[in-house]
Amino acid sequence: MPATTDSSAAASFTNIGRSILSLRRDQVHSIEGMNMQHHDADTELESFQKRVTDRFLDLSSSSDELLTLSWVQKLLQSFLISQDEFRQILFRNKSQLHKPPMDRLIADYFERSVKALDVCNAIRDGIEQIRQWQKLIEIVLIALDNKKLIGEGHFRRAKKAMVDLAISMLDEKESGSALANRNRSFGRNNVRDNLHKSLGHFRSLSWSVSRSWSAARQLQAIGNNLNAPRSHEIMATNGLANLVFTMSFVLLFVMWALVAAIPCQDRGLQVHFSMSRQFSWAAPMLMLHERIMEESKKRDRRNASGLLREIYQIEKSTRLMNELLDSAQFPITEEKEGEVRQRVQELSMVFESIKGGLNPLEGQVREVFHKIVRSRTEGLDSLGKGNGPD
Amino acid sequence: MAENGEEKLLAVARHIARTLGHNDDTMADDILQIFSNFDGRFSREKMTDDDPRPCAPLEHSLKSLHRQISQYVASDNPIWADSADSSAFLDSVDELISTIKDWSPMAGDKSINACLARADDLLQQSMFRLEDDFRSLMERGGDSFELCDSTTANLSFDDDDDDGNEDDSDDSDSNQIPVAQPVNDYDIIIDALPSVTVNDLNEIAKRMVSAGFGKECSHVYSSCRREFLEESMSRLGLQKLSIEEVQKMPWQEVEEQIDRWVKATNVALRILFPSERRLCDRVFFGFSSAADLSFMEVCRGSTIQLLNFADAIAIGSRSPERLFKVLDVFETLRDLMPEFEAVFSDQYCLLLRNEAVTIWKRLGEAIRGIFMELENLIRRDPAKAAVPGGGLHPITRYVMNYLRAACRSTQTLEQVFEKGSSSSLSVQMAWIMELLESNLEVKSKIYRDPALCSVFMMNNGRYIVQKVNDNELGSLLGDDWIRKHNAKVRQYHSNYQRSSWNKVFGVLKIDNIPSAPSGAAGARSLKEKLKLFYSYFDETCKTQSSWVVFDEKLREELKIAITKLLLPAYGNFIVKFQNSPDICKHPERLIKYTVEDVEVRIDELFQGTGASAGGKK
Repeated sequence: MPATTDSSAAASFTNIGRSILSLRRDQVHSIEGMNMQHHDADTELESFQKRVTDRFLDLSSSSDELLTLSWVQKLLQSFLISQDEFRQILFRNKSQLHKPPMDRLIADYFERSVKALDVCNAIRDGIEQIRQWQKLIEIVLIALDNKKLIGEGHFRRAKKAMVDLAISMLDEKESGSALANRNRSFGRNNVRDNLHKSLGHFRSLSWSVSRSWSAARQLQAIGNNLNAPRSHEIMATNGLANLVFTMSFVLLFVMWALVAAIPCQDRGLQVHFSMSRQFSWAAPMLMLHERIMEESKKRDRRNASGLLREIYQIEKSTRLMNELLDSAQFPITEEKEGEVRQRVQELSMVFESIKGGLNPLEGQVREVFHKIVRSRTEGLDSLGKGNGPD
Repeated sequence: MAENGEEKLLAVARHIARTLGHNDDTMADDILQIFSNFDGRFSREKMTDDDPRPCAPLEHSLKSLHRQISQYVASDNPIWADSADSSAFLDSVDELISTIKDWSPMAGDKSINACLARADDLLQQSMFRLEDDFRSLMERGGDSFELCDSTTANLSFDDDDDDGNEDDSDDSDSNQIPVAQPVNDYDIIIDALPSVTVNDLNEIAKRMVSAGFGKECSHVYSSCRREFLEESMSRLGLQKLSIEEVQKMPWQEVEEQIDRWVKATNVALRILFPSERRLCDRVFFGFSSAADLSFMEVCRGSTIQLLNFADAIAIGSRSPERLFKVLDVFETLRDLMPEFEAVFSDQYCLLLRNEAVTIWKRLGEAIRGIFMELENLIRRDPAKAAVPGGGLHPITRYVMNYLRAACRSTQTLEQVFEKGSSSSLSVQMAWIMELLESNLEVKSKIYRDPALCSVFMMNNGRYIVQKVNDNELGSLLGDDWIRKHNAKVRQYHSNYQRSSWNKVFGVLKIDNIPSAPSGAAGARSLKEKLKLFYSYFDETCKTQSSWVVFDEKLREELKIAITKLLLPAYGNFIVKFQNSPDICKHPERLIKYTVEDVEVRIDELFQGTGASAGGKK
């Protein structure tokens, strides 16, 4: 009996499961090479779990990085790597895939991953939304360009862009009255003032999903019936059931975190996330989950369009900027001017951090999409081939 | 101090020159020359009001500009309703912009600085007004594109039935699409906005960009056109569907959506997007980067929407029935790729181009996947219930007709399979045929009678060759394959004959060897043989009466072969029998069938009606 390894989850059910498995192995007449196969499979499954755990530990290590653009990129990167490893292990165990219950487990995973595709698309739209905000911020920065003397005209210009930004960041339902105000302050009274038409300018940029699509529902669907495999399943699949379960959870978590961070349609975060602590990655994942949930409940983040740190920074700096712009009397004092320049500086930093990060993030989200598709296609194809004599 | 004075002098000289309509420096130089000649008198010469301040000329200009501009900014009437108004307004704005530019170097002076601040203020107000006017012009001209009767009459789509997209369009000029084109011609140029409007927009854009308000201008432009585009797409019947929704949709609905998508993609890539590109280039003429950026903003969403749907199809089920529609999507993307690359050619669109290619490749994968699924279906088709009478199996019919239909798109399929890993289309087809045959062989084993196995194989084999022969499929599989296959059918034929009729035939063999019994023993043997012959013959005919051979020619071949085998032998036997001594008094009584009777019985075979089961005579 091979020595049971040292998984940090002590006395874990998985370990017991594995011991039983090794017992049986010795007693079974093995076809030549199968013993070797089982042993390898065991090791590779263990190391997969370990690597996933390590990645999540790393993600939860620095608290001030949480939910920043770079953290999200790190999260996606670890998904991509895990997905790759998952795919390779499946490939090496191709012959096992069409035997029940593995075939059902795999098919389930692929079902979930299709749902994740829609989340990826919605997130891409959300990134575009942030890009629109970035453009409006750019106008504010141009208006309050540090080199010149800041006059009333510049203020008005900045204010207009700020109002556009505020409307854009609001929920669509609330935009209506904000828009009416805006037109009153900055536009003339249009005879043809068609509110609906104006609203169109700020309509949510959702191209990939219908109006009725809901990120919350999609997440719930991804997590639906996601239960830790029973011992008989683990044995029947030589442990591969655990692999699928782990990957499914990684998928769920990553999608959930994306929805938490980036604006998208119907961003509900209430997803059932009970993971059995038998898995070593469960603890760091749960911790991340808790911290993100905490963040979402904070008073000033409850109605945020997205929990991305940079969005928070936008909200903060724009709020301060708005206050400043509103309170300014012309001609402005030197002191006031100093404040303005400071706010501009802050806003400029936020702007830079977004500008650099959005394109790579979008690229990664697309990569996640493509990887999921590829893995699913391969998996389904090999499932199909597995049937019948050949 | 002296330097400061010279600068101011220069500014004034330039200002005067400009007021006189000269923007170059030569006149300013001349004026300067004149000033220097005035020397002492200069300080006393009042060029403006009795105002010695250095900012005086600036203030003076600003005052008049303020007068000119404010009336427009405050006015509720659309400035662009009257071209004299709009020109005057633009001229004032131009002057304001250049005044600011000229005097900005001297912002160090406090009073000048204060003037400049007011100038900036005025500029901002002008820009706000210009932005509003820009928006109005864009909205006024832009009613969404309609597929009205005249358009659809001149656009060719695969299916001629249009959904109810023919709302009566407003009669605004912008909706009339010049359509004097022949069918199949997508070269319709849409004037998205009237030419005059486009010029006006460009004039405004020029000022906004040079005043540093280019981003606002671009923002308004993109929002308006994006909305227009979105509306046009939805009027084309295109819905926003998530990938999951497409997977869950019943196939018939998906087919409808695909038809709409093909139409919408053609219209978008051949008409709408190029039209937007032209419009962008004209409105932002002179500012190519603003044009590129705005174009991308406008078209990105709709493009993603189109590509998403194609992706959803590529990701979808591999059920073989989907082949023809997936081919539609594949071919549409393939055919429109040049248009795609032409219209999305600039730097900002690289990602989109790559996406389109990725999705197109994925569709190719999907098609290969569909054939794989077909293979699986064939392999998995169970050998449960035998086809009665050894006739044509539904799977044979299905596969052959499927492949024939698929081969109508041979060119596309060859493209798809070339890009695939190993096999070309011919190899793929040959493989499917092999799978089919293997499956049929397994099915044939259900029949316990080996002769029936062979009949079954013959029937299906014959059908296969027929369907292959006059078709693309035949050229894919090649003459060799057809020859081999025909040979197989002949082989089954001889198997059939051997396993069922040889026995019957064998009875009729008359031994001519010396050791053969003769005399009474010989006679008895002949009698027994005859009885046996009839027994076998009847049994065989009875068994085979319910068998089916669907192909008339094949049926004839079989019957002829049996006839050729039996008739001469039977005839000889009968003669022998009759002439044999010791048989009995009336040998005719023992002869049940004449040769003709035998022939008739044989002729009744394979009708599947059991007609020759009943004994005659």
